[in-house]
Amino acid sequence: MEGFPLISVSMILPLLGVFVILLAKEELSKWIAVFFSGLVFGISLVSLFSFDFSRADRVQFEEKYALIPELNLSLHLGFDGLSYLMYILTTLVSLVAILWSTRDHQISHRLKEYYAWFLLTETFLVGVFASLDLMVFYVFYELTLVPMFFVIGIWGYKLRLYSAYKFFIYIFVSSLFLLLGIVSLAVQHYRQFGKFSFNYFDLINNQYDFTFELFMFLLFLIAFAVKTPIVPFHTWLPDAHGEAPTAGSVVLAAVLLKMGTYALLRFNIGLFPIASVYLMPIMVLWGILTIVFASWFTISQSNVKRFVAYSSVSHMGFVVGGMFLLNAEGLRASITEMFAHGLTSSALFMMAGFIYNRLHSFNMQALRGSIKFMPLFAVLVAITGFSSMGLPGGSSFWGKFLTIVGAREYTLLLAFLVVVGAFFSAVYVLYLLKTLYLDTKEESRLVHFTDLRGFKLSAFLLVVIPMLMVGFLPFLFFAFYDPYIDSLLEYLVLRVMGG
Amino acid sequence: MEQLISIELPRLSLVLPELVVLLTGFVLFSLDLIYKRINHALAISVSLVGYLLALLLLVFNWGMEGETFYGLYKRDSFSSLMQAFMLLLTMSLLGFNYLYYKSKKSLYGEFYYILSFALIGGMFLVSSYNLIVLYVALEAVSIAFYILTALLRSDFNSKEGAFKYLILGGLSIALASYGAGFMYLYSGSLDLRYILTHVGENQYFLVLGLVLFLIGFAIKIGAVPFHFWLPDAYQGAPTPITAYMASFGKLAFFAPVVRLMPLVQEHFAYAWITTVAIISALTMLYGNLTALVQKDVKRLLAYSSIAHSGYILAGISVAEVIGLKAVIYFLLAYSLMGFGSFMVLALLERVPGWENKLEQFSGMRFSAPWLAFSFMVMLLALLGIPPTVGFVGKALVFMSLSFERLWWLALVMIIATGISTGYYLRITVLMFMKEQTNSLNLSVSQVEKFLILLFSLALVLLGAVPIILWSFVSPSAENLFMR
Repeated sequence: MEGFPLISVSMILPLLGVFVILLAKEELSKWIAVFFSGLVFGISLVSLFSFDFSRADRVQFEEKYALIPELNLSLHLGFDGLSYLMYILTTLVSLVAILWSTRDHQISHRLKEYYAWFLLTETFLVGVFASLDLMVFYVFYELTLVPMFFVIGIWGYKLRLYSAYKFFIYIFVSSLFLLLGIVSLAVQHYRQFGKFSFNYFDLINNQYDFTFELFMFLLFLIAFAVKTPIVPFHTWLPDAHGEAPTAGSVVLAAVLLKMGTYALLRFNIGLFPIASVYLMPIMVLWGILTIVFASWFTISQSNVKRFVAYSSVSHMGFVVGGMFLLNAEGLRASITEMFAHGLTSSALFMMAGFIYNRLHSFNMQALRGSIKFMPLFAVLVAITGFSSMGLPGGSSFWGKFLTIVGAREYTLLLAFLVVVGAFFSAVYVLYLLKTLYLDTKEESRLVHFTDLRGFKLSAFLLVVIPMLMVGFLPFLFFAFYDPYIDSLLEYLVLRVMGG
Repeated sequence: MEQLISIELPRLSLVLPELVVLLTGFVLFSLDLIYKRINHALAISVSLVGYLLALLLLVFNWGMEGETFYGLYKRDSFSSLMQAFMLLLTMSLLGFNYLYYKSKKSLYGEFYYILSFALIGGMFLVSSYNLIVLYVALEAVSIAFYILTALLRSDFNSKEGAFKYLILGGLSIALASYGAGFMYLYSGSLDLRYILTHVGENQYFLVLGLVLFLIGFAIKIGAVPFHFWLPDAYQGAPTPITAYMASFGKLAFFAPVVRLMPLVQEHFAYAWITTVAIISALTMLYGNLTALVQKDVKRLLAYSSIAHSGYILAGISVAEVIGLKAVIYFLLAYSLMGFGSFMVLALLERVPGWENKLEQFSGMRFSAPWLAFSFMVMLLALLGIPPTVGFVGKALVFMSLSFERLWWLALVMIIATGISTGYYLRITVLMFMKEQTNSLNLSVSQVEKFLILLFSLALVLLGAVPIILWSFVSPSAENLFMR
């Protein structure tokens, strides 16, 4: 695979799929989508063999095409360990979402458009994680809004229009701050080096005076805090997730939220080290507060999709809190949790969708005991639930455990706060599992329930297996980003001490 | 003064495209006189041939630069770029007008030559520093626009809009010429370059003159608080003409202000930045807020046009070369977006019972998918979603604001854009996510369909590969700054 343009191929293949779908017959579109997303996933798996894990802090699979030479604006693509992991998550989740949609009752009209939007999302997401040029990053970051806007607005549930508006406006407006931040960095580069640049590796050399750096940090933070989301900027999320079709929620929760946390790590910490260190306590506490508040909100939900959505917010609290501990354990926890949450949230949303297809209700009370006659489904949901809760062996365990370790490096009190957060996040998962398994319901309706089969089963397995892998073989995943974390910390020390 | 004595032969090669357009106008005029009722196919082909010839002359002499008529007329890359766009827009307009006017039963031969006089006025407006030339060219464009606005003879709104436009347009020209008078009084010259670099007594004459002159242009471009005519004129005018006023008109009326920017930067930078920034902020906010509550889509787009004047003014407030680049890019971008979006309305107006009401767009995706899709692209471009030209324009304006550290204006722009999300999205939602309420009985010619799709494609293509437009914009902006 030496010299193989992995990234552009992964971006062009889904686009090709879109064209084929537009030309093909309506009924065929789902299989075309499955084929192309499967192909991209296959390529991403094969590419694992050519990724050099020992140099995961370096950019690999690099590609560069000039866009505006005068402004040093180029389509500069490449993966280091962190973005490569996100790329694999993207291709995996895209395939899962499309596989799931083929058997979703909600998706019965305008199939061509539906699958075209999903394939487009995949292209844009790969673009987001692969961009090493901030302007190009922004372009893809914004572009992911459009397909999701349509997916929520056309195939969503009752309040779909309201949610679609809210989703779009929240993210669009907040990312305008990001745009202002990005161009300001380019201008700053011009002031210092005499030429504009949007390239990440150029901008990293910028020097700022302290207030300006703080200001820039805040501009970026507004966008990513909304996208991530951190309480109190989260209110778009339950609406968007609650009303989106299952596959839409899956992609939203699993990958779109990761754009925010990924960007916080890469851009906020990477570009503004001094401001990051300065704001560290606030950000960590903010993360913990997000965990606690979001957990409370979660338990009070009566709609199971909104329940899962709020639980996503609380997981994001771990990601943000862990990240801003700014030590090796915290960062490792944060990235692991990003990946783990991508898997568990996908599975939980699929669970909600699966039950909805049978019961036609998202009401928590209506779900009582609903998995009684679906043993396979019950097992998979249990694995997911425990993983998400942070039970050892599950994927989120490492995220939570390492956050506590990372926090302990500072003070015992901080670690204690994280533990409290983890406790609250366990509470709602247990509540969900209790409702699904232990509460009873008249059995006459449940007897007719059929278990997971075929495409839905494969979609589930595609996320549950990696979930267990993260839990039991975490070192496989640490290998992606350990070198990255080391070099980031080295760079932070250098900048903070040197500056 | 020596300059006046020496005899200079006019370098007609510099004004060849203009001469061709002028000639086309006269040919059309004569044809209309000879045949009492002109054959429209003939008129359209004569115009097209003339404009195409002018365009080719421009394109093949792209690098042409220089002054002629004793400095009354200047050709540089900026004027060539603007004129090329003006010609393209005018030619596209010809593809739309016939069926539109036919359906409105208002087909007149005057249309063609008035259009070419508007074009010639615009072409002169973008390529002179001389106050007299600017004045005459401004009048040529304006008078043509008054007539074109009123050209739906049986329609009350059309006449009302034209009347309002005439009154306020007359005011603006009066103010501009009054301002020109003060500037002449100050410097004894009619050349803006000389006036603004001249150091003389009574500096307040200059300031007063410049302010009045600029207010004249502010009225023309619909900057708040001089915008009152614009929504009515835009709504009343025949829709293809609205499109033309929004696109061609913006190019023509902004061009002299753009030419002023480099001169102002040296002498009035501070006052300029503050004043223009405040006007820009008001324009953005007012345009978007008012557009948000409109029920009539044509009026909504008219307010959106005001808002876009505000975005462009935000770039103009930064009197630096980066601001100039942003402005030129955004001007060209808006000329495409504005033209395309009003043209969509022009097509729809041929549907029986169509009144441009918001709810009539419901479910358009089902009855006219290609039109709905193109309109969506245009709306998203107006909103500034990447990768469209609108996005690149906004990013460049942000960049220039950041360059000048005008953070508050950037914040206003973010808020204004946020507000605009509401109405652009509403139309998109209606078209794609609502059930169809009425069936659209749309009859469109192949040319019109092709042009609409071409415009929406261009919006995406020029935004996704910004270098295409940028490689014209950047040198011409730098050229303006070099003297």
